[in-house]
Amino acid sequence: MSTDIGLAKRHNRATLLFLAPALIFVCAFVAYPVVYAGWLSMFEWDGASDPVFVGAGNFLKLAADPVFWASLGRNLLVALSAIVFQVFLALAIAYCLVRIVPAFSRIFLFFYLVPVMVSEICIGLLWRFMYNPYFGLVNAALKAVGLDSLKRGWLGESETAFLAVVVVMSFTYLGLYVLLFTAAVRSVPESVYEAAELDGAGDLRKFFSITVPMVWDAVRANSLLAIIGSLKTFSLVFVLTNGGPSHASEVVSTYLYKMGFASFQMGYAATIGFVQMALTALAAWVVFRFLRRKGDT
Amino acid sequence: MQLEVLHKLFGEETVKLKSVLIAGASLALSTFPATAGELTFWHAYAGQQDKVDFINFALEAFAKKHPDITLDVVAAEQSAYKTKLNTAMASGNPPDVFYTLPGGFLNAFVKGGQMYALDQDLAKDGWRESFLESAIAQTSKDGHTYAVPVDVDSVVFWYDKALFAEKGWTVPKTYDELMALAEKIKADGLVPFALGNKDSWPATFWFQYMEMRLKGSGVVASFVNGDANASLGPEGEKAFEKVAEIAKSEYFPTGFNGMSDQEANMLFLNGQAAILLNGTWQIGASADAPEGFDLGYFAFPTVAGGAGDQSDVLAGVAASFGISEKAENKSDAVTLLKFLSSPEVMTKYVELRKTMVTVKGATTEAAAGPVLYGISNDLMNAAGHLDSFYDTAMPPAATNTYYTALQGALDGSVTPADAAKRLEGALKDNK
Repeated sequence: MSTDIGLAKRHNRATLLFLAPALIFVCAFVAYPVVYAGWLSMFEWDGASDPVFVGAGNFLKLAADPVFWASLGRNLLVALSAIVFQVFLALAIAYCLVRIVPAFSRIFLFFYLVPVMVSEICIGLLWRFMYNPYFGLVNAALKAVGLDSLKRGWLGESETAFLAVVVVMSFTYLGLYVLLFTAAVRSVPESVYEAAELDGAGDLRKFFSITVPMVWDAVRANSLLAIIGSLKTFSLVFVLTNGGPSHASEVVSTYLYKMGFASFQMGYAATIGFVQMALTALAAWVVFRFLRRKGDT
Repeated sequence: MQLEVLHKLFGEETVKLKSVLIAGASLALSTFPATAGELTFWHAYAGQQDKVDFINFALEAFAKKHPDITLDVVAAEQSAYKTKLNTAMASGNPPDVFYTLPGGFLNAFVKGGQMYALDQDLAKDGWRESFLESAIAQTSKDGHTYAVPVDVDSVVFWYDKALFAEKGWTVPKTYDELMALAEKIKADGLVPFALGNKDSWPATFWFQYMEMRLKGSGVVASFVNGDANASLGPEGEKAFEKVAEIAKSEYFPTGFNGMSDQEANMLFLNGQAAILLNGTWQIGASADAPEGFDLGYFAFPTVAGGAGDQSDVLAGVAASFGISEKAENKSDAVTLLKFLSSPEVMTKYVELRKTMVTVKGATTEAAAGPVLYGISNDLMNAAGHLDSFYDTAMPPAATNTYYTALQGALDGSVTPADAAKRLEGALKDNK
């Protein structure tokens, strides 16, 4: 017995040794910045002169900052649209690819994945051209189908800027979820579908009564992924509108960037980042609990 | 002097000693011992070819003329440079001589007591008089000058002379004429004024000129200088209102708040938009215009009933050179600044970069070309005042508010009264 314990201990030590490098990196590049941001959030600092301690001042300022709350609200809208237009739409597409048109699934999957492979900055710049009111494809297409009255300066008007950004986000990330769901849907045993077919189930019935419950774990994981991504989204908004016009498409990350690197209010930016991280963790936890089925752990 | 050098060489700074020796050896050993000086020099003339050409010319000429001064040069591109210099300043390790933006950026260093005041040096040998006084004012605070200004950008209306001739339009002298012309251009199916305001600075020229014409120059400067009576006045609201009116009349492109300055330039150079209010860098931006495009300019027109001097021009110092308070070798540092701001170097600057400079007489017709020379000679020399760019003059936090308020006023989502209130509040809170 005693030798077994000794062996286990020795294994432990070896395991720890192998885990150590990763742990050190996580500490240096994740844990330390988080702690530092927490510390910095209690100071007023312009990056040049000495930091001034303000205690909870930045947090109180944040609580009363309408731009921050409006930005956070937009992040939640992004998350909602991600659940509908990325996760659930992707599941439906994956089902079609695997069950209805399996012969074309590869080529379709390839096309869905192209935006995932291209950098977000490039996608943003491409869409800026598409949205351009004078040379852009979107207004030209509207004109071509006789909907001249719908032509807009999509990114430049406060009514449409945020909508325009959300459309690009859905387009960009949809492919990733299609890929993940395709794998999940493929893993559902064929026999279950055959049994359902014998009972006379159609595609719609099979989708809701077999596919969705059978891949629920994937739904849960992908929803979580989509929500976390939505709460910290930055690059597409930054490239497309930079949060404008006049905060109309501002999200928390772009607001943080402006406070930190345009206004040089480093302490306040750290406060925003710290609160954003806490809220993202909270949202992730809530969603994971909410989507749990009875009997799951 | 000798003692100073010895002290420096054999002091604690062995690292410096090494670089002095290496650099000195690479020059000429014979010139080394007499008045050997060493300076660290940081600048942002990197990336763009015209910038690199200029600094190479200047540094080579300096090495020839002052072989006794060794420069340890560090270059970085503009945006990276700002961060780099800020970090060096914050950590208490500034370079001896460095490139800096005037206005809010420089004032932060002045406030921290990190800039050497050049007053006594400027008073000698007519150095101060060699600069345009309005330019020196932009690198001074509370009566002291902390940097020597280098180049000036000014904002005027740009148009295609060929297009105007073809359509029979004439250059407007008054604001009412400008609006009448805009209506005519719109009726012709073109966009009257190109504007790409995604990054918020392009529209500030409209607001600032309006405020300058209605109230006068120096409004933001008085806030920055801590003047207790500083105010935008009722003219601030009026200026926001006027600019919002132009947007409402659809004289700007559709979706201008989402378009970049480059996209606006495409409209302008393609002849889809007729007029553009922009800085003198437009000369460079128009270099690849299509065949037949003939760039012309006209001054921001007079506004009837405005209290400001109607000849004033929006023109700001774009860059300057300063000396750190910590620099040990200030006399050599001053020598370097004097050399960089000498008429020979500055004329070369104009020739290479097609930008006006702050040194009197250096912006020659031969070096500048006809358009730039015209602006410098006709417009700026005749101006009652030159008012520097609001957005760079004010502290960064106020700039952010200014940008957002103006975008909102143009968009109709912020009322002119509210925009003026927000801007004034930000200017009062951040000094």
